[in-house]
Amino acid sequence: MTWVVWRQQRPVFITLVAGLVVSVAAVLLWRAATVADVQAGNLADCVLRGLDACRGKAADEFQDAWFDKLHIAQGTVLAAPAVIGVFVGAPLFAREFEQGTHTLAFTQSVSRTRWMVTKFLVAGLPALAVVLVYQLVVHSWLDVAGELGPLATGKFYFTTFESQGVSPIAYTLFAYTLGMVAGAVFKRTLVAMTLTLAVFIAARVLISGLRESMITPTRVVTDDLDGRTVLDGRPLVLESGYLDAAGAVVADPTPKMNCVGRGDAQGIVDWETCYRENGLAQRYSDVIPADQATALHLLEGAVFAGFAVLFVLGSVWAVRRQV
Amino acid sequence: MNASPVRAENLAKHFGRTKALDGCSFELPEGSVTALVGPNGAGKSTLLSLVAGLAKPTRGEITVHGTAVRGRMHPDVSLLTQKRPLYDQFTVRELMRAGAAMNDRWSAERADEVLDLLAGVDKDAKVRTLSAGARTQVAIALALGRLPKVLLLDEPLSDLDPLARDETLRIVMTDVAERGTTVLLSSHLLTDLGDVCDHLLLLDEGRVQVAGEIEEILGDHGVVVGPAGLDLDTDGTVVDSSHTSRQTTALVRGGSAPEGFQSEHPDLEALVMGYLRASRTRRLARR
Repeated sequence: MTWVVWRQQRPVFITLVAGLVVSVAAVLLWRAATVADVQAGNLADCVLRGLDACRGKAADEFQDAWFDKLHIAQGTVLAAPAVIGVFVGAPLFAREFEQGTHTLAFTQSVSRTRWMVTKFLVAGLPALAVVLVYQLVVHSWLDVAGELGPLATGKFYFTTFESQGVSPIAYTLFAYTLGMVAGAVFKRTLVAMTLTLAVFIAARVLISGLRESMITPTRVVTDDLDGRTVLDGRPLVLESGYLDAAGAVVADPTPKMNCVGRGDAQGIVDWETCYRENGLAQRYSDVIPADQATALHLLEGAVFAGFAVLFVLGSVWAVRRQV
Repeated sequence: MNASPVRAENLAKHFGRTKALDGCSFELPEGSVTALVGPNGAGKSTLLSLVAGLAKPTRGEITVHGTAVRGRMHPDVSLLTQKRPLYDQFTVRELMRAGAAMNDRWSAERADEVLDLLAGVDKDAKVRTLSAGARTQVAIALALGRLPKVLLLDEPLSDLDPLARDETLRIVMTDVAERGTTVLLSSHLLTDLGDVCDHLLLLDEGRVQVAGEIEEILGDHGVVVGPAGLDLDTDGTVVDSSHTSRQTTALVRGGSAPEGFQSEHPDLEALVMGYLRASRTRRLARR
């Protein structure tokens, strides 16, 4: 049975692998050029410590040359799950139902369950592997640019977060099973493909908006009222503001930030003293620390995986009632 | 155990409010070749897919050699569906390998034998390049490779040229002769069926109208012809009658020929035509 499905999926599989080989080759070529630029511009230090550590023409030129390309590369990792859902998931059952070839399988002695499971695994596992390999290759390119590339915006910037960790695999699983269930229910390849793309994009936008609320934020409090202190490891800042002397959040700090006429002879305002006299005692930030990024990846991944389980059950139901 | 190869009891299949089949009971004798006929939409394909186990009946039960069929393919049954779905991008050889992979019982020799019959099918050809006749031959090879005891054929002869029709029937009849396979085949081509079938199952509007041995059924019916205006006074059942200005013709079941009418037994085609015409008349009358 595995052989039968593999033989059926062969054109899809070949296309996937060909696409992967071309993309990986392109990424590796660019990566080599990036490595060469880092060496030529003597930028190894900046890559580790960021643009602030080494103002200079070489660093700016490097960013002009590579920053956007790296960003687009992250974008392609975000798009990969949709491609799998639309071109591997959606036709999986829809094409069989459209061409009537499911009856060929149903009139042999294999059970429908075995047919479904085999199709699901033989078509799905290579697709997941392709996405994983592509994700890792793109990431190895991003690492070369380090703090001079998109990684400088922190682990939580959406293109970085969503192209890293378990996220691409979780999205792929979601898109693939979504395509599968749409195909099994609507029995039309084109309908299933369109629906998969639309629902996938909607679900991704919706859930990425909700994922910040999946972790209880940590409150970081500082006496530095100017707010110039950089937070460790660039966490995701959900909210920030001022606390009064009692440690309670100041609901509307704007009037208390009025320091007009407090300037000294040169007109320089001592903001900190002014704020403190106005009753603003401390500054707080509610953040998701950088070291909880993995936890957030897993939480969001679990939500997508949960949907994937529902979609699999839906497919089983639709295939079982198919004549 | 001497159970009938196929027995249906009070079989019904409803799709929403539509009753594709309703209260069907029949039995196929071992080694018989049964023609399944009826107007379009009579429930022939539904019946075949129920017997195969592709669909579950709404009511009633089907047994194949004594075991109930329910929602999955019975190992002793092979079904050739009307559209003959095959994996188009496979070669014939690959398709036979798929047949072996998807079946617990599979005879590659039997499948090859069928493929080599007649002009022979090129095993390295892609399935999608085959002619309609060769495609049917491949589908039958796939069906017979399962070594079925019951072979169900849904319109096996449609869109075949006369030569391919004849040859397809020959392949099936060879299997019947050699292995005693019980065959149930639906077709609109009554002349072709007459030569090979010994039993008849006539469906209309989801119900069995006539079932049994063709010889007996034909013997039980009469085509009576008499002058126009004469009363059709018979103790049998008038299935269908037509009138012209000069004469009255009727298909009568049972009883003796009415006074003043000439009677003779119909052939299979005339019998089925009579029933189909009656069915159409009934449906038109209801509108």
